[in-house]
Amino acid sequence: MSYRVKLNVFEGPFDLLVYLIEHAEMSIYDIQISEIVKQYMEHVKAMQITDVNVSSEFMVLAAALLEIKSKMLLPRAVPEEGSAEVAEDPRTQLVAKLLEYKKFKRISEMLEACEEHTAKILEKPQEDLAAYTGEPDEYLSLDIEKFKTAFEQFLRRKKKLEEIREHHRRSEKQRLTQEHRMDDIQEFFRSDPKRKADFRELIHKRDDKYDVAVTFASVLEMMKQRRVDAEQKYLFGDITVTAAEELFAEDGSTEPEAAGDAGSMRTGIAGGAGDAGSMRTGSAEGAGDAGSTEEREE
Amino acid sequence: MAGKKTIKSAIESMMFVWGEPLDIKEAAEVFNMDKKEIYPYFKELQEEYEQEGRGIVIREVNKCFQFVTRAENIDYIERLCTPVKHKKLSQSALEVLAIVAYKQPVTKGEIESIRGIRCDRVLEGLGKKKLVAEVGRSDAVGRPILYGTTDEFLKQFGFSTLKELPDIVDIEGALDEENGENDILYSQQISIDLSQAEPDRTDK
Repeated sequence: MSYRVKLNVFEGPFDLLVYLIEHAEMSIYDIQISEIVKQYMEHVKAMQITDVNVSSEFMVLAAALLEIKSKMLLPRAVPEEGSAEVAEDPRTQLVAKLLEYKKFKRISEMLEACEEHTAKILEKPQEDLAAYTGEPDEYLSLDIEKFKTAFEQFLRRKKKLEEIREHHRRSEKQRLTQEHRMDDIQEFFRSDPKRKADFRELIHKRDDKYDVAVTFASVLEMMKQRRVDAEQKYLFGDITVTAAEELFAEDGSTEPEAAGDAGSMRTGIAGGAGDAGSMRTGSAEGAGDAGSTEEREE
Repeated sequence: MAGKKTIKSAIESMMFVWGEPLDIKEAAEVFNMDKKEIYPYFKELQEEYEQEGRGIVIREVNKCFQFVTRAENIDYIERLCTPVKHKKLSQSALEVLAIVAYKQPVTKGEIESIRGIRCDRVLEGLGKKKLVAEVGRSDAVGRPILYGTTDEFLKQFGFSTLKELPDIVDIEGALDEENGENDILYSQQISIDLSQAEPDRTDK
């Protein structure tokens, strides 16, 4: 983004040319090209345009002027009366362009005057119409159906908001649970390291999806650290968790625990597994069936 | 159907409450009328305000009506409070705007060939001020964007419709015969352009 400081008054090459012609009190139809070219070049030089784009615009016209000037120097046939001499004047095109430009310049002056006049007219911004109507949009086209849907939407939004808020509060409380839960699991196995625990036993609050998810993540994390082993006999089957050798390694109380092969532990990502032991990642509402472990990441 | 007097009185109240330009379409819905039917009521009311020389003027912008102050009273208002003044448009912005207004729909290339200088930034600025907007694409090579003026332009320059723009010939005044011909062709082209642009705007 270039920074533009504008000091001179010329808006472009035509603007400058029009100014020069008017200043020299020349007729636009009889421009003394050599004189104008000289002045034009002087002005362009004085303007010291550093922007290549802008200066090239000025140079294009300068080149055009010089071309016209050179053409004017060439000897021309003596104009015959009533011939097409006028059209052959090398300046014709330039004049047409200048006239067109001047026309719009004048329109712009007219617009400026209009703007000045309109600036004196003040309007009031729309005030808050809620005092009269509630929803300003419905003031003119209130329809019982629209009203009904709007109200229902409002109720739904409110309900959703409450849900979110409740959940938000809960998760806030339980922010640190994964570490805690891993400690919990360690404690769980401390009393009986050989115990084969059902995954569900490790969950504290079974109807709380967050608790289930954290417990599951904790078990995965501990498997990664080789502190527990888990086994799942078949897809969506019950998960059996056992303590591994490393579980108590940190406390020095190494208690060897053969947990058989660290069985295939799969997380079935399938929607409608209806059987009791199913472990689902996904929908939540079906907490009805007793054994199902459901997870949902929030 | 409410009486004529009632309707006029009602639209007056509606405009007062609405503040912003009130679309005749919305007003028509209130009375269960066609927008063409309601239009004369607005015009009549506008005329009444005008005749009485009220301090409030009803301004029309593209088939929307709004209460505004009378321009002549600006000095008194300024003595009472200082309204925020809009920055005036630069000379180059006005030039580009003039070309867009009279030649719309127009491409950037056409504007630049008239002014002999690039105008990307100026157009961008006018777009930001919501005075010009893209109105489509030309069928020419590269399908360049076509620009046109907006309702905001009408409002800011005090025109009710594009038709109100002064005739190019009137501004230009007397012209030499040599170029007078061009000019007539030119203004014809403009009136064609305007009549094409008009339906979209009235439908709105």
